Amino acid sequence: MLRRCALCLAVAISAVSLLGLSGCKKADGASQTSLTVTGSTTVLPIAEVAAEDFQTANPGKRVLVAGVGSSAGIESVASGTSDIGTSSRDLKPEEKSLGLVDTKIALDAIAVIVNPSNPVSGLTKVQVSEIFQGKITNWKQVGGPDLEIGLVNRDEASGTREAFSKFVLGTADFDPTAAVLPGTGQVRSVVAQAAGAVGYISLGFVDTTVKALDVDGIPANETTVADGSYPLWRNLHFFTKGEPKGLIKAYVDYVLSDNIQNTVVRDAGFLPIAEGGTKP
Amino acid sequence: MNDLPQAPAPEPDPTPYAVDSSLSTISKATYFKEAALKNLFLLCACVAVAGVGLIFLFVGLKGWPIFAKVGIWEFLSGAKWYPTKGFFGILPLIVNSLLAMAGALVLGAPLAIGTAVFLSEVASPKVRELVRPAVELLAGIPSVVYGFFGLVLLRPIIAQLFGGLGFGLFTVWIILAVMILPTIAALTEDALRSVPEGIREASYAMGATKWQTIWRVLLPAAKIGIIDAIILGMGRAIGETMAVVMVAGNARVIPDGIFKPFLTLTTVIVMDMPYASGDHRTALFGVAIILFIISMLFVASIRVISRFGKEMS
Repeated sequence: MLRRCALCLAVAISAVSLLGLSGCKKADGASQTSLTVTGSTTVLPIAEVAAEDFQTANPGKRVLVAGVGSSAGIESVASGTSDIGTSSRDLKPEEKSLGLVDTKIALDAIAVIVNPSNPVSGLTKVQVSEIFQGKITNWKQVGGPDLEIGLVNRDEASGTREAFSKFVLGTADFDPTAAVLPGTGQVRSVVAQAAGAVGYISLGFVDTTVKALDVDGIPANETTVADGSYPLWRNLHFFTKGEPKGLIKAYVDYVLSDNIQNTVVRDAGFLPIAEGGTKP
Repeated sequence: MNDLPQAPAPEPDPTPYAVDSSLSTISKATYFKEAALKNLFLLCACVAVAGVGLIFLFVGLKGWPIFAKVGIWEFLSGAKWYPTKGFFGILPLIVNSLLAMAGALVLGAPLAIGTAVFLSEVASPKVRELVRPAVELLAGIPSVVYGFFGLVLLRPIIAQLFGGLGFGLFTVWIILAVMILPTIAALTEDALRSVPEGIREASYAMGATKWQTIWRVLLPAAKIGIIDAIILGMGRAIGETMAVVMVAGNARVIPDGIFKPFLTLTTVIVMDMPYASGDHRTALFGVAIILFIISMLFVASIRVISRFGKEMS
């Protein structure tokens, strides 16, 4: 039994020293072989596919991508747990002092989605705002059938929620009785299955199971986002601790390259960053 | 080592150390093995106790500052849970947890007790061998599978039948009732089986029908065991997290209907933990303390009731 204990101890010690070693390696930027990218679930499709292509193009390098929400991504890059924090929102005032450098990588529009069986095809921004504040509770108040509105909201870690709140609600609060779901996919599937439901997701995730509403009479699509007429759009960000260097810079540049921007970014339903200006 | 010659049997010893001399007939290796095993098991028990102690200590230390900051009473009775805006009231969460548990119990307990009566008193051995593993299997299904089943299958059906999104107490009740069924059924069946056969025979001998025997004799006789079973079911229902978070809808208010979304003590931790920081995180540990206390109350009440039952009989 003693021998077995000794073995356990040896394994534990070597594990700890390995951890220590890999920690050392990470601090050395130039010879870095692996990169951790965490953050927004909205940015995930871009970061993940780009990571796979990047690894194929650069054998021996590894890029680990995780979707944990924009706030968690910003927190992890600020604390040094990850190399790049992806985000679908700007830095909050209290995050400005963390020394993070912002690289905008794509444009994204937020679509207001309803069940395809809902005859309502468009709302004004004010109506959307009142619906999500809980002031309008029935579709007949906005020209639809006599059907109760089922609000679907995102959790507070969501960058999409943050951006939607800023664009649509301003300083007003969300209706607290709304359902709160932890992911874009869940919002879409719930709206697809309940007749009176309304929610919001990235334009890139809209498919045939849901219907995207016109906002202020302007349909949500790539053209209206590119020319700036669709009101609900935002930038997607990569945040790094200081200017990107070494492997981090290589990956960021790779994501910004025309190749990725025109294939991966477009396939995910977003627009290349070059298409539009930056939001004031 | 085993081929060591056994110590020759000593002369009969008149002193009271006779026990010790008999121990010496065990070889040294065996003695050490026995001692090592004894200490190993002691260590196992200590790890369990230390685990509970450390968790309680850690959660307590992490969560205590929130009580100091907002006050225990305000924390428990505050009607608003908006931690990012400085409101730390968990009353809606407590009420919602109790509502979810109560409904699950109302639906699940009769079903479970009925199942137990069927298995113990009614079913033929062949049927029993088919039904019992099925009920036991329910206990083995991971809770996330229940939740997924509820989210993908049950929720759309409820949304279609009753309108709304399909999230809410009603959906949670159904899922939880099925989840607590095996716990309550297994323990109730044990309680019924431990009723002596003679009592059944006496009841039948007095001309009672099967139903009268079950309702008037067996269930009252197994009462304490059944109450224990129900309390354990309550513990499972109030502590369940993964299945509930997927079908509750997570609105941080007391719902104004059984088809409206709501948040409980357990699910708030899952929903808020990924992004909580500062006081918000401390408040979540405060919620954990409350959950810890609730489950301790359940365990304590089972002990008290069992002791009470023993004294009665």
